[in-house]
Amino acid sequence: MNRPQALCYKIKWGPDTGPPRYDHNNMTFEQQILQYLITGVTVGSIYALIGMGFNIIYNSTEIINFAQGEFVMLGGLLTVSGMQLLHLPVPFAAILAIVGVSLIGITLDRAAIRPPKDPSPITLIIITIGASIFIRGMSSLIWGKEPYPIPAFSGEEPIPFFGAVIQPQSVWVMGVALIVVLSLRQFFGRTLTGKAMMASAVQPRAAKLVGIEASYMVLLSFALSGAVGAAAGIVIAPMSMVQYDMGVMMGLKGFCAAIIGGIGHPLGVVFGGVILGIVESLGAGLISSGYKDAIAFVILLLMLFFRPQGILGKTKGERV
Amino acid sequence: MMTLSLMKKPLAGFVLFSILLLLLPFTVTNDYYINVLIIIGINSIIVIGLDLLVGYTGQISLGHAAFYGLGAYITGILSARWAWPPIGGLLISLVMVGILAFLIGIPTLKLHGHYLAMATLGLGIIVFIFFQELDFLTGGPSGLVGIAPMSLFGIPFDSDLSYYYLVSAFLLATLLLSINVVRSRVGRALRAIHGSEVAASVLGVNISRFKVGIFVLSALYAVTAGWLYAHYITFISPSSFGFMFSIKLITMVVIGSLGSLWGAIFGAALLTSLPEFLVVFENYETSVFGLILILVMIFMPRGLMRGLEDLIKRMIDLGRQNLKERSPTS
Amino acid sequence: MNPVLKTEGLSKHFGGVKALDQLDLEISKGAIQSIIGPNGAGKTTLFNVISNVIPPTGGEVLFNGVKITRKQTHTIAAMGLTRTFQNLRLFSEMTVLENVMVGMHLRSKGGFFSSALKLPWVFREERRIREESREWLRFVGLHDHTDRIAGSLPFGNQRILELARALASKPQLLMLDEPAAGLNMRETQDMVQLISRIRDLDITVVLVEHDMDLVMEVSERVTVLDQGRKIAEGDPEAIRKDEAVLKAYLGEE
Ligand SMILES: Nc1ncnc2c1ncn2[C@@H]1O[C@H](COP(=O)(O)OP(=O)(O)OP(=O)(O)O)[C@@H](O)[C@H]1O
Ligand SMILES: [Mg+2]
Repeated sequence: MNRPQALCYKIKWGPDTGPPRYDHNNMTFEQQILQYLITGVTVGSIYALIGMGFNIIYNSTEIINFAQGEFVMLGGLLTVSGMQLLHLPVPFAAILAIVGVSLIGITLDRAAIRPPKDPSPITLIIITIGASIFIRGMSSLIWGKEPYPIPAFSGEEPIPFFGAVIQPQSVWVMGVALIVVLSLRQFFGRTLTGKAMMASAVQPRAAKLVGIEASYMVLLSFALSGAVGAAAGIVIAPMSMVQYDMGVMMGLKGFCAAIIGGIGHPLGVVFGGVILGIVESLGAGLISSGYKDAIAFVILLLMLFFRPQGILGKTKGERV
Repeated sequence: MMTLSLMKKPLAGFVLFSILLLLLPFTVTNDYYINVLIIIGINSIIVIGLDLLVGYTGQISLGHAAFYGLGAYITGILSARWAWPPIGGLLISLVMVGILAFLIGIPTLKLHGHYLAMATLGLGIIVFIFFQELDFLTGGPSGLVGIAPMSLFGIPFDSDLSYYYLVSAFLLATLLLSINVVRSRVGRALRAIHGSEVAASVLGVNISRFKVGIFVLSALYAVTAGWLYAHYITFISPSSFGFMFSIKLITMVVIGSLGSLWGAIFGAALLTSLPEFLVVFENYETSVFGLILILVMIFMPRGLMRGLEDLIKRMIDLGRQNLKERSPTS
Repeated sequence: MNPVLKTEGLSKHFGGVKALDQLDLEISKGAIQSIIGPNGAGKTTLFNVISNVIPPTGGEVLFNGVKITRKQTHTIAAMGLTRTFQNLRLFSEMTVLENVMVGMHLRSKGGFFSSALKLPWVFREERRIREESREWLRFVGLHDHTDRIAGSLPFGNQRILELARALASKPQLLMLDEPAAGLNMRETQDMVQLISRIRDLDITVVLVEHDMDLVMEVSERVTVLDQGRKIAEGDPEAIRKDEAVLKAYLGEE
């Protein structure tokens, strides 16, 4: 009756469990380390993507969206539905899922974030937490509590790599992460809309003066953040299966990535994600897989205590 | 209306509430409901402490289930593995968790807003992982069996009714201590911190001392509740102390009204009993909690109970105005 | 005579902005000393750095000859130095009386343990705090609003309440940051009265204010800041005629 709701999701693969079907015993120690690094960078890319999702919303609103992980879960599950119900091929199902989650992001902003007048941080925290468990609860009703598989995008034939192996899906994960991060960089650095989104949090009044409607920018950031989260959920799905409650851990890890690298600092977030992935993978492989998740949170706490602005972030003066 | 006047005179309220607790079992026909009342009482103890932290002082904690769990596990392990008496378990867990909360509280409570939320959440998860992984002590994910039933100074509390009165006694003690704290120099300092940390500190309030102090106190309440829970159920598993339970606790505080001790009890009672009485609730429980959190925060950011009170006040005012407007013509 | 408060080479930089630039300042006991200067001159920053709400970039602050530069805000308050804020910082959800009672925090000592158990001495202390707080409300003339929620007071009364709250800590030195900002003519006159009566309580007052008439009326000494530096100092009459001051206020074009 009382099943563990919080943490029953674990990435069901990696050095200790899952599909990478290779024999550790045939590897030298160096090759094993290399294998862990590959796994780490793969998972780290996912964390980086999720962290970027946090970052986009944070940049335009200074809100930490606790429902970020649910975007990831929804991306995966909507793709499953697209494939099973509409019999779409993976790419189309994926696009549909990304659009769907963007719309959910927009709904979240309009229905829950915007209505309260002059909300305190605690109010906003509780609202996004509420949204997160609402989405999770609804998903468990719609999709049930079983995990769903998605076939790997281009087969499961491992690619040999200096004595270790790389799963083709890993290449997909890293590739998609790289493309998304680079496009976001272009978007925020080069386009007018992108620059405006950054400006609307830093200088809401100034942004308004040059004719940027802040509330539209917030809406856009929720849509974009939903899309990025969904993409993360889709590419990781073949490696981890998708399940209604995967969002909790995914969201938290993405947040860890953002904090480690420095929230508000896109490059830092990517950096933080990859570091977290590698540390976790090495920890799980060399120490104990059971404590893998604890490692991430210990790092999170140490960062928060000693360098809350992150490795690459800068301190900013608080206005008194 | 009654709640209105109760807020003004908490001690009169306290006496009334004691009488209510004393008489409540006689109105209950089904033994099962005594069970529910016991769990409500236990949850109320945690939520009162959490409200002191969140509602009064304005510091969020998303990891309070961990302290509750530590209270249950420490006494449970001592009892199941080394046959310690419950009272020993209580004292040890109060001391251990008190020290832990103190050490953790110092760096944690320097953080604000989202950072504090995430740090406490992270703490909760780390503790949860230890419950699961230290299986030679905790029994791992499948749980810890063989915790002795409650017995204090040779008196066994083996019937549900006697346990109900035990929990009620602890609840009343917690409540009384909390009322005293709230209505004192300490309580004012806490609310001042909530209002403006800078203003409080230029008036000489040692912010970190009071924040850490109330953090420790609320952790100790949760430990006491965990202790009562462990020796009542006599079987515990990590799943009762996870992230979701921390969220439920926050929901109880929010529903009951941030910064109202009576509200805290109301919130605990409502959210503990709802799933018990609405069978249909089971599948929708998570979604409903989520929806409640969102709606209350949007429409009644001061909490359901205060929100209703404001509504009643406004209606009374309206009624008065109507009377006034009518009287000259009549 | 030794100054109550002294700054030596006090600096605060925000990125490229030098809000305070090597400032040396002395405040002598028992006087009302005003600090004036155009917007952005660094007046509020000076208060923030003295009370260590924000840390200085360099320099020292001495209070009664003791270095307080790196002491925590509440410790500085305990030594007898408190302040008000330019943009009000009341505890707006608490009642008027409770706000003043928080002001007496330093002059009482009930802790977690003794308060939870409501020991007899806590009970007596609580009564003393309540009674004295009422007196402070009477002193500033807010006694008719005792049980109102502070946030619901009219703006002028909120400014007065903030002053009452600071007074209740019985400081040696009180720094007031634009106490008359946003007040109308009559309220400003009341504020002038109030500030003069504070001096009679043996409290040294440092006053930041834009209202020149008010400054000239109450202060014994005036310091003029511009871009974080002291550009003039003297009695009100002298300042009124000072060339540098006129220049700073009218711009240098
Ligand atoms: N927290 C901060 N971060 C960045 N710059 C700041 C900060 N606080 C003040 N400043 C800058 O420092 C300078 C001095 O500001 P300050 O508020 O001390 O001026 P002031 O003399 O009090 O002005 P006013 O009369 O408008 O109150 C200004 O240029 C201001 O923009
Ligand atoms: Mg100023």
